[in-house]
Amino acid sequence: MIATLRDTCRQLLRDGKVDVVIGYGQDPVGQAFSLSDSTQAKCLGNDRDGPVFPVFIQRPEDVEQLVWNDRCHANLTVYLKRPEIRALGRPAIVVKGCDQRALVVLEKESQLDRSQIYVIGMACDGMCRPKCETCDVHEPRGADVIIGKSASNMTAISADQRYATINAFLARSSSERLAYWRQELARCVKCYACRQVCPMCYCPRCIVDKNRPQVISTSATLKGNFAWHITRAFHLAARCVGCEECTRVCPMGIDLRLLNLSLAQAAEENFAFRAGDDPQAEPVVGSYALQDKESFIQ
Amino acid sequence: MSNVFSFATLRGLVDKWITEGRHVAGPRLVNDRLLYGWLESAGQLTLDGETRPRNSIKEFLFPRHEKLYGYKLGRKRVELTEVAPLEDEQIVIAARPCDAALGPILDHVFNWDYADATYNRRRELTTIVTLACQSFDAQCFCTSVGSGPDDPRGSDVMLHALDEGILEIRCLTEKGRRLFAGQTEPSDLKSDVNGGPEISFDLDKVGEFLESGFEDSQWPELARRCLGCGACAYTCPTCHCFDIVDEGAGGQGERARNWDACQFGMFTLHAAGHNPRSQQAQRQRQRIYHKFRIYPQKFGTLLCTGCGNCTRNCPVGLGVRPLLSAISRKTQPNDES
Repeated sequence: MIATLRDTCRQLLRDGKVDVVIGYGQDPVGQAFSLSDSTQAKCLGNDRDGPVFPVFIQRPEDVEQLVWNDRCHANLTVYLKRPEIRALGRPAIVVKGCDQRALVVLEKESQLDRSQIYVIGMACDGMCRPKCETCDVHEPRGADVIIGKSASNMTAISADQRYATINAFLARSSSERLAYWRQELARCVKCYACRQVCPMCYCPRCIVDKNRPQVISTSATLKGNFAWHITRAFHLAARCVGCEECTRVCPMGIDLRLLNLSLAQAAEENFAFRAGDDPQAEPVVGSYALQDKESFIQ
Repeated sequence: MSNVFSFATLRGLVDKWITEGRHVAGPRLVNDRLLYGWLESAGQLTLDGETRPRNSIKEFLFPRHEKLYGYKLGRKRVELTEVAPLEDEQIVIAARPCDAALGPILDHVFNWDYADATYNRRRELTTIVTLACQSFDAQCFCTSVGSGPDDPRGSDVMLHALDEGILEIRCLTEKGRRLFAGQTEPSDLKSDVNGGPEISFDLDKVGEFLESGFEDSQWPELARRCLGCGACAYTCPTCHCFDIVDEGAGGQGERARNWDACQFGMFTLHAAGHNPRSQQAQRQRQRIYHKFRIYPQKFGTLLCTGCGNCTRNCPVGLGVRPLLSAISRKTQPNDES
């Protein structure tokens, strides 16, 4: 699979079809260090080979830097919004099935011109993340090329399976849930890693950075943290594709996945809509119907 | 000859301190993740598992949010209310050496042109009990910045885990001695000397590069994958930038200081709209320069303890070790552009 990926990228760069390949690379650390118990599982990050990270390949001879393994967690589509990456020219981008869904939303929201991006879809049997357990896109859709073949069972995942985690959470009483969020969000340090890794957080100036006047408190207090996470959740309603990057990168281990799942469930139950699923579907936020039962829309 | 005591004694002491009303912080598991936090009981204290917590003990000396004073706008004047002086003693237990070192490092900047009263008061009130490291992960690089797994800098007490629930204890300051007086016993057991992680980069080469490498054409490439969050700065023991904010409504509120980070685009944005660090690469360069050139030139000490949290917490695996490893592989700055 890795050979095909490298060959494909080498050819794309050689032929001048793209100027840069956004893919995954890895530094061999090569030093002996003791693995603590919790990191012995093959799925955890602090591993023998060093972390996998995004690379930007501009020359055909550099494609050897590309890797593909079960630690290719990052959703690289986030880079399509960044000016320093746009400046590199026409991109090819390596995506997993879950990442590809972000491209659908971004295109629908006029954030990218799909014809100017070469999408390399990687068949993926999971990255050992919670989202992988209910994955139904082991082979990305809408890619220009698919590399590899998934060995995973491609039978449909039911909504019940998809939302089992959030349903279990919602089964708790509202006071228990509030207590949970008070405890979890109290830890937030407002590093905004959740925002920065999110392909859907592409506002040139985030509402928390608007300070004339300051609408959302910048303090990492319980009040300020609730304000931030609730605002972010609302902005992602029916837009979040569930790549769970925000959850993966939170240094304080806050399970933001619960908020995302709740939003996704609301969109699916009320509007039969899953963000990034169907390129033809009109987005829930960003479209309207005159028959809407709410009068404000008319 | 050494002095030892048991884990059980330590846990008993922690519970006693908490009961006495002292604030005790230490590593605890939160959602399977090791994080420093205030302990409600000794049972939460976690001495094994991950190499080090994903945050730092900075929080206990320099909180992420701190009220400076309250204000109330009157018709003709502003009424200010002072914050009650800090009085409660606090103990940080099982800090890693790369965390404990932050005190002697940050004392410089918090007492340079202005003596920061709340920082200094917290330092006085805090006793740091360090646990020497026995394991390292791929991100640890203390040995590359002149430190090591049992570096005593900033510690009041150094603990070494021996076999079978026994800890060797070395009290390094009077504060530390007071805390453990009468709790330890002499022994022949001695901790093994531990070399620490392999050296990741040559600090001299890094210094040479930084001397003339400010305009090096490779910064954009080195920093390209940075997404501009503050995970590195906020989990770093030594990053100490802050912002002053007024928060309130109806003519009253508080002035507070909040952590801030040089990786944010807003950090250097001028009111007029100009941003001297408009590119992410300039912000990464700033972080490295501040830690490895500006701070050492000004205060004679690196602004880095080699804890590796910047990389451990970086969504895209950047941070000091990968950047400086790449820099030290270069022989000299590349000025062609």
